[in-house]
Amino acid sequence: MASAREIIRPPAPGLDMLAQFGYPQSAAIRAGGLIFCSGMTALNPETGEREHGTVTSEAHRVFQNLKLLLETAGSSLEKIVQVHALIYDRLEYDVLNRVYRQYLPHEPPARTVWSVTIESGFKVQIDATAQA
Amino acid sequence: MSATREVIQPRNPALNVSKNLKLPHSPGIKCGDFIFLSGMVSVDPATGQRKLGTTDSETRQILENMAHMLESAGSSLAKVVKINVLLHSMLEFENMNAVYREFFPTDPPARTTCGVQLSFGLKVEIECIALA
Repeated sequence: MASAREIIRPPAPGLDMLAQFGYPQSAAIRAGGLIFCSGMTALNPETGEREHGTVTSEAHRVFQNLKLLLETAGSSLEKIVQVHALIYDRLEYDVLNRVYRQYLPHEPPARTVWSVTIESGFKVQIDATAQA
Repeated sequence: MSATREVIQPRNPALNVSKNLKLPHSPGIKCGDFIFLSGMVSVDPATGQRKLGTTDSETRQILENMAHMLESAGSSLAKVVKINVLLHSMLEFENMNAVYREFFPTDPPARTTCGVQLSFGLKVEIECIALA
C-alpha cells in the first residue's frame, strides 16, 4: 500500500513561508514514518520578522522554531535522524556547534554542514528529517 | 524485514546522465516507501547534452525532466516530499521560485534552497525525495 503524504502546517503565523514571503514550500511533510522539514531560518514565530544576528543568536532562534514545528507535529528534537546545517562561513563551524550541542546533547542525529550562501543574508539555516 | 534497494532509470535513455557520462551515481534509488533522486541539472531530453541557460529556463527543464524520472519509476511530482535546490546565486532565488510555483501549485514539498558553486557553468541543480 502506498504511503500517505501529509502537509504539516506552520505552527505559528510567522513561520508560514508561503504567507510571509510567497515561498512555494510547505513547513514540513509527513510521509513514510518520517517528517521532512523545510530549511528553517531565524524568523520571529509571531511576526515573521527576519531576526538577522550572529550565528549564535540565529542558531538559537532556528532551534526554538524547529522544536516548535516538530513538537506541534507530534515529534521532537530527540527524534531527528538527519540534519543539514547550512552556515554562511566555515569559520563559524565551532560557533554553530556550541549552540547545536545545547539542543541535541545526547546521541545527536546524523549531520552534514554546508558552507553556502543562504537566502536574505541569513547566517544559519537548518533542515531536519525526523521520526514522525 | 529489510526494504529492497532498486536502481531506477528514466524511460528516455537520453536523460540517463550518469550512465551516458559514466558518472559514479544512479539516477535514483527506490528503497522502502521512498525514491531518492540524484541532483539533476538541465539536460536536453532530445540530445542528452547539458543545456545551459537562464535560471528560469534551467529550472523549467530540470523539473520537466524530474517529472519524467519520477513517472518512469511509478511516482510523480505530486508525491515529492523534500526538495533541495542549489542555485549559482541567491540573487536568482525569486527567478527560480517563479518557475517552481508552476510545477508545485498546491501543497508543495518541504524545501531547502542555497547558493553554491555548480559545475560546468550550470545555474541550477535540484534533488528530491519522493514517495514511491
